[in-house]
Amino acid sequence: MAYARRGLRAPKAAEREQAATMALLLLGLALAGCWGNPSDEPPVHLQQNMDFQERGEAQERNDFFADHRVMRPPVPETVAVGHLKEDDHMWRGRLPNGALADALPAGLELGPALLDRGQKRYDIYCQPCHGEMGYGDGPATRRGGGFAVKPANFHQDKFRPVPLGYFYDVATNGKGSMKGYKSQIPVEDRWAIAAWVRTLQVASNAEPSDVPEQAAAAMADQRPRRIQ
Amino acid sequence: MPAIFPRWTNNIPIAIGVLAPLVGAGLVFAVAYWFSPRYTDVGYRPEQPVPYSHKLHAGDMGIDCRYCHNTVERSAHAAIPPTATCMNCHEQVKTESLRLRKVRESYQTGEPIEWVRVHQLPDYAYFNHSAHLAAGVGCASCHGRVDKMVVVEMVQPLSMGWCLDCHRNPEPNLRPLDQVTNMNWDPAAEDYDPKRDPARTRQVNPPLHCSGCHR
Ligand code: HEC
Ligand code: HEC
Ligand code: HEC
Ligand code: HEC
Ligand code: HEC
Ligand code: HEC
Repeated sequence: MAYARRGLRAPKAAEREQAATMALLLLGLALAGCWGNPSDEPPVHLQQNMDFQERGEAQERNDFFADHRVMRPPVPETVAVGHLKEDDHMWRGRLPNGALADALPAGLELGPALLDRGQKRYDIYCQPCHGEMGYGDGPATRRGGGFAVKPANFHQDKFRPVPLGYFYDVATNGKGSMKGYKSQIPVEDRWAIAAWVRTLQVASNAEPSDVPEQAAAAMADQRPRRIQ
Repeated sequence: MPAIFPRWTNNIPIAIGVLAPLVGAGLVFAVAYWFSPRYTDVGYRPEQPVPYSHKLHAGDMGIDCRYCHNTVERSAHAAIPPTATCMNCHEQVKTESLRLRKVRESYQTGEPIEWVRVHQLPDYAYFNHSAHLAAGVGCASCHGRVDKMVVVEMVQPLSMGWCLDCHRNPEPNLRPLDQVTNMNWDPAAEDYDPKRDPARTRQVNPPLHCSGCHR
């Protein structure tokens, strides 16, 4: 017996029984589980109490409809009341003559609030591919073998003269192998992002003399001293 | 006349007196422990049709939650992204991956991927994501460190008691309004006082009355 070989005495019958009971108890506890054990079985609720009612929730499956979608797609060739996108400048980024606009549409005002919004939204929706500073080196492009077509670098010369509406247009409808973001980002945010892309371009090409006096003074205070 | 009950039956009342409280306590414990949503719900981690990993996308690559769950700030429901959102990137990277086969199929046929729902309140309870995010409650307070999960799992019981624990004293769970999706923001390390935050224009006022959540 294993016990004997290690120089221990053999257990008495009562001890064995005790050990068996304890093992059973522990096994029972282990089977019953503890709080927070991961499991892929759906939660069991003995009392259902109208937990699930005949009601459609967003994105749920529903067998009433042939395509099983609770959320009904709009009827083709119709426009919901109040959703006609009339303002060409706002929705398509174009002037009445069809050219891309180089200004924000009426109703959006350039200012710190808009640029702040633009920066935050850019960091959510564009940064993964184009990178925080717009050099086309976002975190998603550096993994898994890299992108087949590299995201554009906004600091290339060819993007300097393009009108503001161009960035809005690409963010909305996509371009080449980049897809459009009109379903993901509301229209005002797309304009704010366009303004932020322009800001990045301007900032990457700025001279110290471009900084307004007041801001320059504030910056001089904060700049770490160089050790000479 | 011989005794009807043998002598040992004298011990029965004592045994009952000792055992009944034990059994009672055991029952109370069993119900409190094993019927609690902390046991039945927490840890629910269903297998998904596509081995999509939040740890890879939201954690390692640092993609913001709102890139995919883009309605979360604007509506009650946090949208699960459509296949098109995955294809923004996966038309470019891992285009041949077998693990993404279902995603490509779904994109071609237009049939949605049927993700298994993890968090689900009973239909008689009303919950609204946008109200909580506008008040500065972070995703991590209710969903845990999603950026460390390979498969999404429930870490909070979503019971009424849990909702009310926070509604009675929301302050420790509030954070700056632009940090709601930041998983690394640590309320213990950060010395944040919502009352002195200029970005907040009003005091938060979570409902405690029944019709706030049962409407
Ligand atoms: C999934 C990755 C990805 C994201 C996210 C992304 N882009 Fe792109 N973008 C690309 C790729 C790839 C190209 C290059 C397309 C090509 O040359 O075919 C590109 C090109 C562009 C261009 C240049 C188009 C041209 O004329 O060549 C602009 C402008 C642009 N993106 C703006 C944006 C903006 C604004 C956002 C945020 C709303 C954004 N992108 C988000 C991948 C992305
Ligand atoms: C690249 C897209 C993407 C990003 C970024 C992303 N998610 Fe998700 N999320 C998904 C998909 C797809 C699902 C459904 C599949 C699943 O449950 O894994 C999901 C599911 C979830 C669920 C479970 C939903 C349910 O069924 O109850 C939670 C909670 C969640 N995400 C939270 C987050 C949080 C928090 C972040 C930010 C740290 C985040 N997600 C970032 C794509 C994304
Ligand atoms: C911002 C770009 C981006 C988006 C959006 C995105 N992914 Fe990914 N995904 C990647 C990159 C990059 C990799 C490769 C990472 C690596 O291998 O290091 C990857 C890897 C994967 C893998 C593993 C593939 C393999 O063979 O190892 C799966 C599965 C996956 N993604 C699913 C999804 C799903 C489902 C969605 C939509 C909810 C999605 N991804 C959205 C960039 C993205
Ligand atoms: C106050 C707690 C709380 C916060 C904060 C919170 N969630 Fe949720 N989330 C829930 C609850 C509760 C549900 C289940 C809702 C239901 O069943 O109707 C849920 C469900 C979800 C779902 C599944 C879809 C749905 O709406 O049912 C996703 C995805 C999700 N949350 C993502 C997020 C993301 C991303 C954030 C942060 C931006 C976030 N949540 C912040 C409590 C929260
Ligand atoms: C971590 C903290 C926290 C948790 C957990 C939490 N809430 Fe809240 N909730 C808040 C705060 C803070 C507000 C106040 C919002 C305000 O005043 O703007 C709020 C507001 C609400 C509102 C009012 C929204 C409106 O439209 O006015 C409802 C309804 C609600 N919560 C339901 C729930 C439910 C249901 C749960 C549980 C599943 C829950 N909450 C869990 C913090 C929390
Ligand atoms: C903060 C939101 C909130 C408030 C306020 C609230 N409830 Fe609830 N209640 C919930 C949620 C969430 C559930 C579902 C819990 C679950 O899944 O176990 C629930 C469940 C219930 C249930 C069903 C319990 C069961 O398991 O069958 C009853 C009954 C109930 N609530 C009554 C009340 C009453 C009465 C009040 C007012 C005193 C109230 N609730 C206030 C969120 C709330």
